[in-house]
Amino acid sequence: MIILPVLVPFLTLVLLALLNGFPRLERAVNLASCVGLSAFVFWLLGEVDREGIQAMVVGGWFAPWGIAFVADRLACIMLCLSMSVGTLVLVYACFTAEPRQERYFFHPLFQVLLLGVNWSFITGDLFNLFVAYEVMLIGSYGMMMIGASKQQVRQTFKYIAINSIGSTLFVAACGLVYATLGTLNMADIAVRSAQLEGDRAALVTAVSMLLMVVFALKAAAFPIFFWLPDSYPIVPAGLNGYFAGLLTKVGVYSLLRLFVLCFRQPGAELVLDVLLVMSGFTMLFGVLGALCQWEVRKILSWHIISQVGYMVMGIGLAAAGADVALAAVSATIFYVVHHIVVKSSLFLIGGIADRISGTQQLKEMGGVIDLAPGVAALFLVAAFSLAGMPPFSGFFAKLVLIRAGLADGQFAIVLVSLITSLLTLYSMSKIWSYGFWRSSSHAAPLGRYRGMMVPTAVLVAFTVAMGVAVEPFIRLANDAARDVVDPRAYQEAVLVPVPAPAASLDAGEAGAR
Amino acid sequence: MEFLMAALIGVMFAAGTYMILRPSLIRVVMGFVIYSNAANLLLITCGGYSADWASPFIGVSEGTLMDPLPPDIILTAIVISFAVSALLLTVAYRVYVDHDTDDPEKLPPDSLA
Repeated sequence: MIILPVLVPFLTLVLLALLNGFPRLERAVNLASCVGLSAFVFWLLGEVDREGIQAMVVGGWFAPWGIAFVADRLACIMLCLSMSVGTLVLVYACFTAEPRQERYFFHPLFQVLLLGVNWSFITGDLFNLFVAYEVMLIGSYGMMMIGASKQQVRQTFKYIAINSIGSTLFVAACGLVYATLGTLNMADIAVRSAQLEGDRAALVTAVSMLLMVVFALKAAAFPIFFWLPDSYPIVPAGLNGYFAGLLTKVGVYSLLRLFVLCFRQPGAELVLDVLLVMSGFTMLFGVLGALCQWEVRKILSWHIISQVGYMVMGIGLAAAGADVALAAVSATIFYVVHHIVVKSSLFLIGGIADRISGTQQLKEMGGVIDLAPGVAALFLVAAFSLAGMPPFSGFFAKLVLIRAGLADGQFAIVLVSLITSLLTLYSMSKIWSYGFWRSSSHAAPLGRYRGMMVPTAVLVAFTVAMGVAVEPFIRLANDAARDVVDPRAYQEAVLVPVPAPAASLDAGEAGAR
Repeated sequence: MEFLMAALIGVMFAAGTYMILRPSLIRVVMGFVIYSNAANLLLITCGGYSADWASPFIGVSEGTLMDPLPPDIILTAIVISFAVSALLLTVAYRVYVDHDTDDPEKLPPDSLA
């Protein structure tokens, strides 16, 4: 049952590839699949919240040997975000996609992306995570190059090169984890690494450091973030909302999963300490990069980096004692939810502003507030939320994170995060005063944009709702964090006691006959 | 044997790194191919070597069985790295056709900057 978030996109993408050439039919099938799966993942979240973690091991094997799929609260929250943002972005893309893009397999590629992202959230096996990453990356390569303009091709080369090198390191790290721990199952990694001591533990910490580099690359953390501001602006409008929201967050999710839940050997805190230092630089460099840009999509792309810094900071704070770790992980989860919603909505608003004014250059834009006051209102809410103004979700996300930082006594990182927040507000007000404020050179909007407003408004409404009704979200983030900080529930769900070996062998042979 | 393989893998990673850092797109692709082969060799070595181990068929082979997981993982990794290097090569060729050079430093300035 819990494998459906992987199975449905896979079957849909096969169907859509066959339907290529019938754009209306493709849209209908694609939307129906997304809406159906969204409904399912929200049901699954409710189910997991009530009944506890659900696990499934494929192929009739038992847990440490078979490939496990695990749906805990954190995975379900991420699945809900992936599918709901995916559905909204698809609705938006139906208004923006050019016929040429749809002919070049826009719809199947979109499902490849969903497949990879959902898969990496739900898998409970390290090598399977690598395969999920590859599926996601191949979807993103295709999406980035759709249309194949000169600009796209040359930037995509960089993106493919850096990501495939990262993937090679990922394979190498998988092999080393298998060599040192003898398992690739995440629950089993947590069990076995906790039993290590001395040199063996130090070796595993060194190996896990290699994995940390891989995930930091995917999450665009300092110092390997430079690929992001070049590649995200070339993604087709609308879809960049999904890229900005979900793709780097898969890296953050993997960091959280691996380094808080899985690696528990003595000395594992070293990785988290390194992450904490990296997070400070990530925040600061991201926002400083944003300040010196004059192109809306570039500014927003640099802000992704700076926001990733906050989430990595939460993960880094998890090195402290149990109480602080719980608060820090819970804050990270809340921040991820807030960030995905707000960042996606900002990219969608950027696309609308482009449609209205015909440019992405801030110095030429101007006057969107006259032409389309509704869009300006949406931007204002999303920008305030990103910078962390009450009463929107960004305020509470930063509040819980900074409280966790103060509880741990990490004043330097708290100071950096507050400065970054201030600079974010400044950078957003730059977009506001140049892009939206001034007088416009056009008398009327250059293109139709009302349809694009609907999915954007839903996302913006969600960040307001998350700020106003903050309690249930905090509660859910706390419960999700509890299952990550304390691995026992996760292990019990995945590693069910194995029946006697003889019996299982007989059953296997009977099945083979 | 393990030591020999470790040395070989080290040399291959070093060669791959050198190729990736060259200002030429085709060399980056070649560097990536060397990298992925080095990673696959690393996986084989992680599985361990011994002439005494039997093929992993329960009930058929006698004595200590070899671990079937690393070869299994490598098969998947080979398929993926093959596909990605084909794609990377194609994109490198498209950049060459578009700009008539495969030196990234000679490409025209980024129009988005």
